[in-house]
Amino acid sequence: MRRYITSLILLVSLLLFWETIVRLVGLSALVVPAPSVVLLVLWDGLLVGYLWHHIWVTGIETLLGFILGSSIGFIFGVILGEVDNLRRLIWPYVLATQVVPKLALGPIFIVWFGFGMTSTVVITALICFFPLVENTMTGLQIVASEKRELFRMLGAGRWKTLVYLKIPAGLPTIMAGVRVSIVLALVGAVVGEFIGGSEGLGASIIAAQGMMDTPLMFALFILITLMGVLFYQITILFERWLLRNWSKGEIQ
Amino acid sequence: MRQISSLPMMTDITFDFDGVSYAYESGAKILSNVDWRIPEGAFHCLVGRSGCGKTTLLKLAAGLMLPTHGQVRFKGELVKGPSQKVGFVFQTPALLEWLPVLDNVLLPISLQGAVQAQDRKNALELLELVGIADLAKRYPRQLSGGQQSRAALARVLLTSPPALLMDEPFAALDAITREELQDDLLRLVTIRKTTVLFVTHDIAEAVYLGDQVAVMEQGHIPHFVRIDSKNPRSKNFRYENDFAIYCQSIHEAMIQKMPVGM
Repeated sequence: MRRYITSLILLVSLLLFWETIVRLVGLSALVVPAPSVVLLVLWDGLLVGYLWHHIWVTGIETLLGFILGSSIGFIFGVILGEVDNLRRLIWPYVLATQVVPKLALGPIFIVWFGFGMTSTVVITALICFFPLVENTMTGLQIVASEKRELFRMLGAGRWKTLVYLKIPAGLPTIMAGVRVSIVLALVGAVVGEFIGGSEGLGASIIAAQGMMDTPLMFALFILITLMGVLFYQITILFERWLLRNWSKGEIQ
Repeated sequence: MRQISSLPMMTDITFDFDGVSYAYESGAKILSNVDWRIPEGAFHCLVGRSGCGKTTLLKLAAGLMLPTHGQVRFKGELVKGPSQKVGFVFQTPALLEWLPVLDNVLLPISLQGAVQAQDRKNALELLELVGIADLAKRYPRQLSGGQQSRAALARVLLTSPPALLMDEPFAALDAITREELQDDLLRLVTIRKTTVLFVTHDIAEAVYLGDQVAVMEQGHIPHFVRIDSKNPRSKNFRYENDFAIYCQSIHEAMIQKMPVGM
């Protein structure tokens, strides 16, 4: 509790400092708006309701992209983790999807999928793909050798060893990938909207920039940050529930 | 190299190591020319320093590894891979932390198909026998080291394998817990007439448990010591004069490489 109070005091002090500086120096709201101005814009937007639609669009894009990208990433991770030859063959291409600047692919996605949600979801999925491939692959390979030998002694074949041993044993590592993925998903969705969106928080930032509405841009930053924190916290809670029986700090 | 004096009939031999050698691909020799016969129902212990090849020999018996030379036979049949007729107990309990204790014990059956009500009953009885029936619904992380070892013991006994291979299963436990588990193990394998090959680096443990102790050094087994005492062993055996003498002779065999009497 005391930790939260300390954090809250720090937040309030920072905001007060920011407010004071802006007022004393007399900075234009076009450059750096005071927190009071930003919060007012945010409050208005939420009350009038036009922000809710954009929150919804970005939220859906993030979730769809996340689900699509991480499920495909998980499946790829399992296949590459299990089949050594395939891993050697395909890994360079998987790595290429990670190192290619995904924003640079934006325009081509717009050509393929048009402006709007689909392009953004595809960019988001591409960003979420890699952490899951990497962590699933690693997770499946870190099973303690004794447990693998136990399964061999019990006559479990490859499929049963995968389903009943490797995936559950690798779950903490896989979930770490999910945590990275969900945060990247929101970034992907917002940036995807920069390029090809007409709706959503990212598209709204571009629109606000066009209208020189800096307070609105700040309000949108706050919303995106809050959404990111919310998604992350939900993932953490889900992970805690899922891994409640795994011993802490011991990956075997 | 000494052999056990009387050779039982071939059919009564559970594990038969015949000129077994094992070397890594790099050429590093782990085992060389091991001959060893373990008769049915016997409890043989293998002692030796760390890294002398004890665990390798055990894995060869299990079929988890195959010898580079020689043959390992299980009940007259050549060992070509793991068999469900052989139970293996590892250095760690190797429980699956995402399953409750009861499901961990049932693992040998659940991996092969549906678990029947009778299996569940058997598993609970076994948990009763190893003294942790009240922990059936707990998860491994909620158990102490000794309790985890007991669960691992119940798991390996569920399918009543005719032979057990044990790799220092109690090494990580405190002295009192270890003694309790040794007594429980003796009791259970005696009832079931299970053949046991038990690897340990603890001389006292080997003398207490085994009716024969093999001493291994650098991939050879130069010494076999037969332990003649009442069987099943009384708890007092640990404090008898004979016990100390056996321990001493094995200790000397380990450090001086001198032949010992059987």
